[in-house]
Amino acid sequence: MPYHEFDCSKCLPERQKHAVVKGAGDNLTTALPLGYLNTIPGSISERGCAYCGAKHVIGTPMKDVIHMSHGPVGCTYDTWQTKRYISDNNNFQLKYTFATDVREKHIVFGAEAMLKQNIIEAFKACPDIKRMTIYQTCATALIGDDINAVAQEVMDEMPDVDIFVCNSPGFGGPSQSGGHHKINIAWINDKVGTVEPEITSDYVINYVGEYNIQGDQEVMLDYFTRMGIQVLSTFTGNGTYDGLRAMHRAHLNVLECARSAEYICNELRARYGIPRLDIDGFGFEPLAQSLRKIGMFFGIEDRAEAIIAEETARWKPELDWYKERLKGKKVCLWPGGSKLWHWAHAIEEEMGVKVVSVYTKFGHQGDMEKGIARCGEDALAIDDPNELEGLEAMERLKPDVIFTGKRPGEVAKKIGVPYLNAHAYHNGPWKGWEGWVRFARDIYNAIYSPIHQLALVDISKDEIATDRGFLTQRLLSDRTLAEEIRTSTRLREYTGTYDPIAALRKKNPPYFTPMAAAAE
Amino acid sequence: MNCELKPKDRIGTINPIFTCQPCGAQYASIGIEDCIGIVHGGQGCVMFVRLLISQHLKESFEIASSSVHEDGAVFGALDRVEEAVDVLLMRYPNVKVVPIITTCSTEVIGDDVDGVVTKLQDELLSVKYPDREVHLIPIHTPSFVGSMVTGYDVAVRDFVKYFSKKDKPSFKLNLITGWVNPGDVKELKHLLAEMQVDATVLFEIESFDSPLMPDKSAVSHGSTTIQDLVGTADAQGTIALNRYEGGQAAKWLQTRWDVPAIIGPTPIGIRNTDTFLRNVKEMTGKPIPESLVRERGIAIDAITDLAHMFLADKRVAIYGNPDLVIGLAEFCLDLEMKPKLLLLGDENAGYADDPRIAALKENVDYPMEIVTNADLFELEDRIKNGLELDLILGHSKGRFVAIDNNIPMLRVGFPTYDRAGMYRHPVVGYAGATWLAEQMANVIFTDMEYKKNKEWILNVW
Repeated sequence: MPYHEFDCSKCLPERQKHAVVKGAGDNLTTALPLGYLNTIPGSISERGCAYCGAKHVIGTPMKDVIHMSHGPVGCTYDTWQTKRYISDNNNFQLKYTFATDVREKHIVFGAEAMLKQNIIEAFKACPDIKRMTIYQTCATALIGDDINAVAQEVMDEMPDVDIFVCNSPGFGGPSQSGGHHKINIAWINDKVGTVEPEITSDYVINYVGEYNIQGDQEVMLDYFTRMGIQVLSTFTGNGTYDGLRAMHRAHLNVLECARSAEYICNELRARYGIPRLDIDGFGFEPLAQSLRKIGMFFGIEDRAEAIIAEETARWKPELDWYKERLKGKKVCLWPGGSKLWHWAHAIEEEMGVKVVSVYTKFGHQGDMEKGIARCGEDALAIDDPNELEGLEAMERLKPDVIFTGKRPGEVAKKIGVPYLNAHAYHNGPWKGWEGWVRFARDIYNAIYSPIHQLALVDISKDEIATDRGFLTQRLLSDRTLAEEIRTSTRLREYTGTYDPIAALRKKNPPYFTPMAAAAE
Repeated sequence: MNCELKPKDRIGTINPIFTCQPCGAQYASIGIEDCIGIVHGGQGCVMFVRLLISQHLKESFEIASSSVHEDGAVFGALDRVEEAVDVLLMRYPNVKVVPIITTCSTEVIGDDVDGVVTKLQDELLSVKYPDREVHLIPIHTPSFVGSMVTGYDVAVRDFVKYFSKKDKPSFKLNLITGWVNPGDVKELKHLLAEMQVDATVLFEIESFDSPLMPDKSAVSHGSTTIQDLVGTADAQGTIALNRYEGGQAAKWLQTRWDVPAIIGPTPIGIRNTDTFLRNVKEMTGKPIPESLVRERGIAIDAITDLAHMFLADKRVAIYGNPDLVIGLAEFCLDLEMKPKLLLLGDENAGYADDPRIAALKENVDYPMEIVTNADLFELEDRIKNGLELDLILGHSKGRFVAIDNNIPMLRVGFPTYDRAGMYRHPVVGYAGATWLAEQMANVIFTDMEYKKNKEWILNVW
């Protein structure tokens, strides 16, 4: 294996098999780092916990639900308002978060009675909301509170409410990934099959592993709607609680993020015989292929082709405008889990950039397999990277831009590397045809920022250019561009609006499954 | 009595004002040079706190986790601490100070962190790092006790307790800032420099407003040194600006090393800044110079342009850290405004004995509530049930209360990630008083224009 040893990690022999450089002719059988093993304490890993994997990543994007954490306030506070999963019901799930506020006395004497009081209180505070999820935390897992029993007791007393419990304490597993698994399994065990939906189409899907970051889900929903497909539920972005209870009636599970949500698809296949189809909403070609596959499954390829033709004609000239200007730019693709393989190939093919490194914080070896398979030669692949390795990699690779989280983005900033938020996006949505152009636009704006150019000038030593009062992205990007590309009438810059989701919502009525609407 | 102090009625928390103790200890730890803390617990207790602080400061910095997984939760996780210390020391050769910050999980399972520190000193440090200065400091911050405010207070006390050592009198002043911003530290240092007072600032976080340098060399880190902490025992006095964030350390220095302590008031507004300078003068014998008379005059001049024309009678709700909230309320009263609702996010038994709260209860001549153990739903609920407000002062987590109820809001406190550069501006000192008054006026002006509410009044001013 072409393992890559970091200078900063020479003292940690167990890190040596967590990074590889893909050489000429290498494939995933010859170049594959270890993955999803216990974190090395003190390494300043970027991993989160299993509680956040369950509550923050998967649970909370559900929009019509009181999301309550049973524990001290910190877990709740810390995972609140740190993501951009919006919804079409005025963002209830972003705005409200609930903690049972466990104190020392509860640790000593138990916190079940106060949990019950909390549940009743929360429903009273939000009289329009009749659904609740409760998340265990480290503290309440350790004192052994039986949350399920308390929830059942309340449901017996309040027949109009329904409560889902997820027991995924922070220490459960090496990273947030443990929590993804636990909430997938708990949902199918406890909630799927408890609501019968109204079927309004011959083509019925669940859209799984999609979290509506900056409106991604609503973009994709528009395509499905145009194909005449009924989307029974979205797991979980902009999804409804009752819609997700009816998942068992879909004809097909369309799976986007296989890292966080393949478990429920696999269980739906095993228990209800619903096939799983993995798709990809990022990138013109992967998205076109995805809609084609769905179309083929239902025998409505023509509808898929019509959308593909329309969207490609509308947006391809804009994507290509950016592609011409991003060619050869070096990118570190450093997301959390599955985006390393969702994006690796697509951004190289369609935006012309070169992925010089991929990493994953909580991905499994399977994610690395896909990532390695899809990235080019010389790419440095890192599993569970840490602060020093990230810095060393950036110094060695000298990327033009890095896609990562907010805080690591601040690290990159200091060494002159612009960053884009891989988790929450800069100016998304980034899914869909238009979204992909927006992504390219954001990369372009990051790389060709005039301020970024100024940041690298040392006024005490360097020659200070005095011939210009300003520069623009265009002046920087087009300097070495061929005349026919610069003046091409086919290509054009992004022409969309700041918030494309607002228009979509006017076009499509707010998304509720028929059953959820009926229950209201 | 017009002003009441009472806890919220509900048992649970909807939209918390504070996070938990370990966050406070982490915020204190980043103020020390060559310090990387290890938070003993699940990884989320660090990952999210780093995200939170980096959202506020728009900077990165290091804090490590002991990464407790399932086996550790079942069988004890002290081996994770041992490994974390070793890994950290191996890879960060400059690190000297390593606070080991506990969390709810490791306090519940009863990990003996103090014991493992002794063991590490005897074994790992003396065998593997015999020539290296390393300080391991247990800091107990179970999340189910207190709040981020008490966590900060505990950590400051424990750092001071660990390092302070009597040598010879230094004629320096200990200035314990409490939970403040880089801009506040800058202003406090400025005031002391004008007074020609040499002070040890705990914790010195001014450099977290750090540059992007062409040689790519800049990193954000605290600047309080081990020497600074050791020397706190020799100081001629301690001024802790905040009663609830650093007050314990000041008391401890007084009890243990006879260093006289003055705790509070938080120098927010003209009056409290006057008191602060008077306290510095008392403690050091240094006069208040003409330059500060002039600075104070500039502030009062600016405020006079605003107070009785625009700010008078404006009804305000304030939430956040207790010393900040009380200081802001006091300043608002001086500005002729009417703080109607103060929300303190925890239930510190000390609030009932706080002389500032007693003074509010005694002297406020209109209905005012001070709610302890409060959450942001208390604010929202009162607004929905008729509380009329002209302004909200608080941190970014309450942004939707302001947005959804169309109430102008000035971001102040921690965290303030939804406005640019808030950490750069002081709220303390005369500069802070000016900034606060002007920003309050400006957000009210913007709101008047947005709502077309006597927006024409600003045609002439």
